Amino acid sequence: MDFFFGILNGFAALADPEILLYMVGGFLIGTFFGAVPGLTSVLAIALLLPLTYSLDVTTALVACASIFMAGMCSGSITATTINIPGAPASMMTAIEGYPMQQRGEGAKALGHAALASMIGGSIGALLLMLIAPLAADAALLIRTPGKFSLIAFALVVIIISQQKSISKGLITTMLGLMIATIGIDVMQPMARFTFGTGVLVQGIDMMPLIIGTFAVSELLVQANNRHNRTVDPNQVEAPPVRRRDFIPPLSEIREIGMYRYLKSAVIGYLVGTLPGAGGSMAAFVSYAEAMRSSKHPERYGKGNPEGIAAAESSNNAMCSGAFVPMLTFGIPGDPTTAIVLGVLVINGLQPGPQFMDSQLSLVAPMFAALLISALVLVPLTLYLLGPYFLRIVSIRRDVLYSSIAVIALVGSYVATYSAFQMTLALLFGILAYFLRKQAYPTVCLLLGFVLGPSLEEYCRRALSISDGNPMIFLTSPDSLFFLALTGVFFYFMVIRKPKAAPVPG
Amino acid sequence: MSLPTRLRDGRLLVPVALLILTTIYFIEAVQMGPPIRDGNMTVSFFPLAIAFIMFLAIAGVLWRIFQTPSDTDQSAESHEDKRRLGPLWVALLTGLYIFAFSYIGYFVATAIYVFALTMLFGEGAKGLPVKLVATLIITVCGYLLFEVAFQVRLPTLWS
Repeated sequence: MDFFFGILNGFAALADPEILLYMVGGFLIGTFFGAVPGLTSVLAIALLLPLTYSLDVTTALVACASIFMAGMCSGSITATTINIPGAPASMMTAIEGYPMQQRGEGAKALGHAALASMIGGSIGALLLMLIAPLAADAALLIRTPGKFSLIAFALVVIIISQQKSISKGLITTMLGLMIATIGIDVMQPMARFTFGTGVLVQGIDMMPLIIGTFAVSELLVQANNRHNRTVDPNQVEAPPVRRRDFIPPLSEIREIGMYRYLKSAVIGYLVGTLPGAGGSMAAFVSYAEAMRSSKHPERYGKGNPEGIAAAESSNNAMCSGAFVPMLTFGIPGDPTTAIVLGVLVINGLQPGPQFMDSQLSLVAPMFAALLISALVLVPLTLYLLGPYFLRIVSIRRDVLYSSIAVIALVGSYVATYSAFQMTLALLFGILAYFLRKQAYPTVCLLLGFVLGPSLEEYCRRALSISDGNPMIFLTSPDSLFFLALTGVFFYFMVIRKPKAAPVPG
Repeated sequence: MSLPTRLRDGRLLVPVALLILTTIYFIEAVQMGPPIRDGNMTVSFFPLAIAFIMFLAIAGVLWRIFQTPSDTDQSAESHEDKRRLGPLWVALLTGLYIFAFSYIGYFVATAIYVFALTMLFGEGAKGLPVKLVATLIITVCGYLLFEVAFQVRLPTLWS
């Protein structure tokens, strides 16, 4: 009952004008970053991270939640209108949305996307409020060897989910772990890998790594591009759209069916709880399932609103699912929740099994923001700003990327008021640029860095409990469970690889 | 396919650079002492384990590079539409900006940096008045965001 009242207080907190302003502002920023090809909501949250030094933690979390939700659904704007997904999670939406745009039903396709985002996002947020406390209770049962095996499981799943090249995923994860070992050891007061310099004794801060990996590297990638605007203005020239065109017909919603929305949302939520999965996988799995179970699979790939509903409902529900392992185990499964973890760590908070009980007043407004963003802001933004969506995606690159550069670099100065953090951000940016150019997943770098210290600490603690006997990982039931789970995932994702992506149409 | 070709197409650059980095990391880890002492893991155990896995992963990537043909020819077309030295210029400008930031202060350093970036990300000096106005607006907005809204004390020319 206390938890229920805590959640209600979270909704009440959103009435605070400052928090409300950050929620709405965050949603609009997320919409912009999600819609413009090349920008992502991860970049938006990364740029927000330095500002959290001056922000109240509740306000920062609310802003992160609304950016996350907005970025996930706004990727459908350019996916539908110009066949360029604004975010990777909208790739499946482009398959169905763009054919609809070509036959003059672009606004309706966006309406279907917004409706599905609204339903999926809301169901995901409600599931988070209902299930997260249960997950936290379950997390209390996990002891030190089990914690090591759980983190090892998370890292293995993150690596093997890089289907294109597992060895590249392994390299960047190990690189993240290497960077995490710089500075004072997790168990003993001894500095490692400082190379005689004083500045590295405290270790590498998460902020320059995030800013460098997601913001500075993006600047370097975009510097390759000769185009003057983010999207060619000729591509986004379209006849004026009326607001009522965005409202999907009731007959089509009935044909899709509430069961489809619900099923896709649950799939998205569950995929979100897996480390390394993310919105793309959630949308893909739901889309494939919708096509498999559809009465008319032949309509897929030709502009079927059912496909849009499945993909968008799923990727928005994923947002809430991704918070479960981060809040209950302190294990972020994707870059967005890793940055949210950074917000908490900056404010001296460490998520874990008891975090939901002890800090409910801080996280409840974030849960409420996820629900309000999906339920109210998604349809409201489409209705009010929908006719202008296409104009905002074609903007001058010189102004856009200069602004991002200033926010990113001055932001990285904020942590310690020293140019050293800025230099680190630049160095990590250059490193991430080369990694991205050769298709090494930088997400693994961040997650390896975040999870590395806990992995080492729990491993060493478990072995000191057992006097150095590694059998403790097999004799401890919780540890054995996660090791077995790792084996199951490895079998299904690597040995018995998933079938190739379904070809629509 | 020859080694120079693979070096030219850039695929060897990352694994070779990481191999050098990992070797330095490994040597430093070895100097910390034995990985296990009195049956317990020491500070060097984890770094040595990471370095060992990293060596294996790099070997795997290198093996795949030498097994697959170079993609130099395929990427040649796309290079025509790209500014090849763009990232180098951005990295240099950013390095100079970081150096100048503490010495000449936020306003002057940021204004020069933003103006240089607008030249780089736009079409050179084309639309110069817009670039100058954008430089001024971005610099002032950055100041208002950090110094006024979030009360971050930014360095000034006279501080």
